[in-house]
Amino acid sequence: MSNLTLDHVVKRYSSVTVVKDVSLAIDEGEFVSLLGPSGCGKTTILRMVAGLIDPSGGTIRIGDRDVTRLPPNKRNIGLVFQSYALFPHLTVHENVAFGLRRKGQSGAALDARVGEALAMVRLAGYGERYPRQLSGGQQQRVAMARAIAPRPNVLLFDEPLSNLDAKLRDEMQIELKRLQRELGITTLFVTHDQAEALSLSDRVCVMQDGVIQQFAEPETIYRRPATAFVASFIGKPNRLAGTIRGGRVALDEQLELRSESDLSGDGRPVEVFIRQEAISLAASGDESVNRIAGTVALRSFSGPQVKYVVRIGSDQELVVEAPSSGPAGDLAPGQPVMLEVHPQDVLVLSRETAP
Amino acid sequence: MNDQRPTLPVTTIALLVVVFLQIPVIVVVLASFSETSYLTIPPQGLTLKWFEAVLTDSAYLGAIRNSLVLAIGATTISMVLGVAASYALFRKMLPGSEALTSLLMSPLIIPSVVIGVALLQYFTLVGLRGGFVVLLLAHVVITVPYIVRSALASLSGIDLSVEEAARCLGADGFTAFRLVTLPLIKPGLVAGALFSFVTSMENVPVTIFLAGPRQTTLPILIFTSVEMGVDPSVAAVSTLLIIATVLVLFFAERWTGFHRFV
Amino acid sequence: MRSWRTGVLLFSPLLLVLAGAFIVPLILLAPTSFREYQPGMGIVAGSFTLQNYVRIVADDYYREVVLRTLGLGVGVTVACLLLGYPVAYLIVRGRPGWRLPLTLLVIFPLMLNLVVRSFGWIVLLTNRGVVNNLLIDVGLIEAPLKLMFNVTGVTIGLTHIYLPFMVLMLVAALQNVPRDLEAAAATLGSSRFHVFRAVTLPLTAPGIIAGSILVFVLTISALVTPRMLGGPTYQVMATLIYDEYMQLLDWPSGSALSFALALATLLIIWISSRMTKRWAGLA
Repeated sequence: MSNLTLDHVVKRYSSVTVVKDVSLAIDEGEFVSLLGPSGCGKTTILRMVAGLIDPSGGTIRIGDRDVTRLPPNKRNIGLVFQSYALFPHLTVHENVAFGLRRKGQSGAALDARVGEALAMVRLAGYGERYPRQLSGGQQQRVAMARAIAPRPNVLLFDEPLSNLDAKLRDEMQIELKRLQRELGITTLFVTHDQAEALSLSDRVCVMQDGVIQQFAEPETIYRRPATAFVASFIGKPNRLAGTIRGGRVALDEQLELRSESDLSGDGRPVEVFIRQEAISLAASGDESVNRIAGTVALRSFSGPQVKYVVRIGSDQELVVEAPSSGPAGDLAPGQPVMLEVHPQDVLVLSRETAP
Repeated sequence: MNDQRPTLPVTTIALLVVVFLQIPVIVVVLASFSETSYLTIPPQGLTLKWFEAVLTDSAYLGAIRNSLVLAIGATTISMVLGVAASYALFRKMLPGSEALTSLLMSPLIIPSVVIGVALLQYFTLVGLRGGFVVLLLAHVVITVPYIVRSALASLSGIDLSVEEAARCLGADGFTAFRLVTLPLIKPGLVAGALFSFVTSMENVPVTIFLAGPRQTTLPILIFTSVEMGVDPSVAAVSTLLIIATVLVLFFAERWTGFHRFV
Repeated sequence: MRSWRTGVLLFSPLLLVLAGAFIVPLILLAPTSFREYQPGMGIVAGSFTLQNYVRIVADDYYREVVLRTLGLGVGVTVACLLLGYPVAYLIVRGRPGWRLPLTLLVIFPLMLNLVVRSFGWIVLLTNRGVVNNLLIDVGLIEAPLKLMFNVTGVTIGLTHIYLPFMVLMLVAALQNVPRDLEAAAATLGSSRFHVFRAVTLPLTAPGIIAGSILVFVLTISALVTPRMLGGPTYQVMATLIYDEYMQLLDWPSGSALSFALALATLLIIWISSRMTKRWAGLA
């Protein structure tokens, strides 16, 4: 087990730079997710760590070993592919044994290690089957067993759960987390699914256009997004245009909100993010919260939750989520409402040029 | 009227055409057992003497041996060189892989007789005509497209990440190819090798220009002896080839599901 | 860069063989085709003439051979198409249980030695061959028909040789026709024949074109079957090239004719691939 360090890593393809000067330090035994939309460079980073792509610049270290120019077979890593990439012509046992045999293991010791790995993913007794005889979830487990059997220094996952249906994906997330905890292997996990990243990881690295936007604990990413991109990518927050005015953020002539974000620089154009679930429809009587008057424009029922589109100020709209069983579960369009938002839930971030 | 099943007339015509395809084969087999020295159907009297004649004739035996050596040698070389080149093309290791693929396939497009005369002239010029190596190289040229075609088709059917998985598990490039890629493309390669073998075994238009007197192959021997007149021993040796073809096709189908690759 | 070096290493052995035993020899054919040939003297060194090419269209005999070759190409292609379509249709649309045996019966002649197949037709078509004997025995004719050393024999032989290629091409094309489309046409009131004409046939057109090009190109470059069934008198381009090199030793004429033949096949394949590309763009 070792830590994983990327130092000023760059990847260029003729004219396009897909990874721009990425530095990242992952502690020993830590579980880190690379999160971002497709094309943000996260898979490229993973493949550079694996040695399947040569970086154009920078260094990659596993432990204190510089592996930047080493081929994948010299890096002692375990990679779980999106397509699983099981060897179709080999049995489950031989799939799992593949990496061990490359390390010169054989006989009873090898069988024991294979059995151990299969037991860890709860597939003991499946050794003689072929991959095509297994379900998608079972194939996924074999892929994991195969990756962990040789006891790699670093485990890499390339969107491993994206081919599973929603129910199975939830089960596998828990399984994966448990496995990683037990083994304590440094793990880099690539995904575009924010919920997956937040629930699995010790830290999440959000990327956009080949640049790290924020690298922090899931809670921080969620509550204190560093950039407008992170704020908009995590969850489905309301996104409003505003201006700093006298220590508050103004949404229009009348409507001003208090916020705990940085409100310096009078007249500065900003973006305001308010999460749907942070807006309350019930009057708390608390004087410190922001109170916004509005009118229900639309109601959409989705089981446990109700969503309202509420028109506020002159021409702005907020989407508000409320429990359907509560007192605010039954508002009709046209009804006037008073919204409450705590200043810590009003995120004010500098406006970006990019959307 | 639920479907587009072939009607009775269509079925009848189709079956007649399939029979038409087998007629020369049936005729040759029957003729080879004929007692008479000219060919008759049905054969008058049954005999194996023409087979005996073939199997004791040193010209036939030599030609059979030459053909086998040439076909096996050419197929082996084509296989090694062709698979290596196809792999480089498939993994896009070289620029202009589309043009290079066309180049490898071009011996299929250029008429064989043109390749034959070009090689005749060239090897006469450099003074190598009549050598076995020259013949072998010529057969590599005409058989390699079949290997390349089947190798590229098989390679495009496998998941690229499977080989990457092997590399991450500690296999170097060659080991990953040997343990993972090669077994996965094997059925296609067997089919390609069979085509290559058959192509070499039956080639006349290139061989006839290059083969020295001691390198006469079986098809060349039949081709030239037919010009002298028809003889039942030709039917007998043809029957042997027919039997060999049936056996090869049968086992190829059993082992690889050969018809999928045609 | 690492992969580029591996690529060169993997590719160059075959490239060397092809360069030495295919590309360079073909290129060296070009100068010969512009040399003068004098009977008895051989190739005149250093000479330059276009006569070898002019002759192909200007000389009556050459023109006849070229036109005969192209005519055979058209005839054999049409025959293969007409005979092959029902077989392909039966393989794809017939009973599933017949599919494999029928396919193998089509592949079998293809795998069988070309010389043996042509020899089979000699046995059938010679003056005292199976067909003539049968017709005489039945009393339909009195003297044997001339079935060999002419257009009849060569056409039958070549059709038999190249029919499997056509069938396999058409099978591939028919498999790509969604049956739902035919069913849709039927529910819209089309008769069986109309379904075939309006849906199946147009959708298999790319396969028909590809199969026809293949058969045509193979036919015009065929040497073995035309020589075995056509004899030394019924010449086509390939047999003429053969004789010019092996009997007459007139290499300049032979190489010019070779270039003409190679150019014709390349041109046909090039045009057809451009056509199919344009069609693919439409579809």
